[in-house]
Amino acid sequence: MNEIDRIIRAQALFQCLECGKCSAACPRRLTGKDYSPRLLAHKVIAEREDEAFIENAVWDCLSCGMCSERCPSGVKFSGFILEMRSLLAEKKGLKGYRAHDGAVHSWMRMMTAPELRQNRLDWVPKTLQVADSGEVAFFVGCAPYFDVFFSGIDVDTLSIAKDSIRLLNFMDIKPVLLRDERCCGHDLLWTGDRENFERLCRLNCETFRSAGVREIIVSCPECYHVLSEHMPRVVPGFDIKITLLLDLLQREMRKGGMTFRGLKRRVTYQDPCRLGRMAGRYAAPRELLGLIPEMRFEEMENSGPSALCCGNCGFINCDAHSKQIQVLRLQEARATGADLLVTACPKCLIHLTCAVRDPLRQGSVKMEIRDILSVLANQIAWYGG
Amino acid sequence: MRKNAGKKRVRLLGICCNWSPFACYNAAGMNRLAMPPDFRLMRVMCIGRINQALILRAFEYGADGVILLECLDDDCRYGPGPGVGHENVRRVRRLLHLLGIDQERLVECSFGAHEKEVLVETLWRFADEIRTLGPMTEGNVLGVKRPAL
Repeated sequence: MNEIDRIIRAQALFQCLECGKCSAACPRRLTGKDYSPRLLAHKVIAEREDEAFIENAVWDCLSCGMCSERCPSGVKFSGFILEMRSLLAEKKGLKGYRAHDGAVHSWMRMMTAPELRQNRLDWVPKTLQVADSGEVAFFVGCAPYFDVFFSGIDVDTLSIAKDSIRLLNFMDIKPVLLRDERCCGHDLLWTGDRENFERLCRLNCETFRSAGVREIIVSCPECYHVLSEHMPRVVPGFDIKITLLLDLLQREMRKGGMTFRGLKRRVTYQDPCRLGRMAGRYAAPRELLGLIPEMRFEEMENSGPSALCCGNCGFINCDAHSKQIQVLRLQEARATGADLLVTACPKCLIHLTCAVRDPLRQGSVKMEIRDILSVLANQIAWYGG
Repeated sequence: MRKNAGKKRVRLLGICCNWSPFACYNAAGMNRLAMPPDFRLMRVMCIGRINQALILRAFEYGADGVILLECLDDDCRYGPGPGVGHENVRRVRRLLHLLGIDQERLVECSFGAHEKEVLVETLWRFADEIRTLGPMTEGNVLGVKRPAL
């Protein structure tokens, strides 16, 4: 069977009713880009000779998953895009405009060298308690790299890692930090570089196993998406437990004993696509934020399963439409009357901060943006303490 | 023969601004000054055009050492070029350190338009330093198969 036919079957594209709800909801479309998931599905089924259209459209998707969310007949559109990108990249090379000239993908590919000995843990302050060996590890991910690369726009991704470890320490967990862990490879996977993605998976698995780790706590939704969903497919028999820090926090808070100090802010929340639509975690962040006293929580017009994308995914195809999506999102956030936008993904933080700082907007979408873990780590306290 | 000439061969890349440094490089060539072997020059209109990604890419594709040849800070034909170069080198060096790659493998140097001898001397010193550090590793380096020298 033709490989494209196989993908169409596997991702249920034949179930498409051509109702067009996907295209009506697509954030790309929303900002006026000539891009339509419905038309792509039609072309790939009925007019496959239009290769130029199909190839362009496959690389244009933001993979935010809004189309799959809206689809009444269960077409797995994100899965289709993912498989098509791997297939096209293998046949015709990597396409899609790489944001930041592909620097992010560059260092990810450099990490596929087995002999690499990274210095990725120089930032760990003495105030944080980490263990040299143990069964529970914390996956730092690309935070130290983003911290350097994006220092020009004042995005402090390392503070998310620090605050995550602070929260773990507060719950009496001393996580192991792995010096030789690699990037999870999310961005390589979603930009079609399957070969190097699988290399990273295997190297990471080796690192986890040789460190004797049984459980890995993850703060980034993209790392969680890859480690929990794709890792077991790439590495058969991958049996290390992957825990999302937000889930862990939610469980521990329910046990009692911990509380949050008050925060007099009006707050709204951006659902990251990998956490919300792909992992179904809508309630955990809201429940945790809801426990903070004195804080007013406002939902944006589009929230939960309808949350608008932060404008970019996997660092490809950042263009004027991406910027427009970010501006729309920030305008929605400001319309709630909130003065603090909380998100749960470092990529949302980076992309939305970029839009806030856009000189052309002259500060009209200015807003403080912070990661949920940083907010929680600053407010957490012992009950009665 | 220069010292270290017998050491292992390394891949050297010079990213060279079209103005002062390239004038030096050109003059050095006209004067038949000897250049280090295995040195490749990439000429760009201004070092301000080079970003973190392009420097990283050189290492990804197998360079053992990269030198940015810039104009003096006040000589830039476009204005901010050398300043952009300094900032990018500072950041990429930190990224290289994170990756466990020796920061000394990335160097920047500024030249006036008449300093051909200084430029050649700098290139030899750079080549010697990288040879002392040695090639990163043989064969499959940094995820990319390197072609034979």
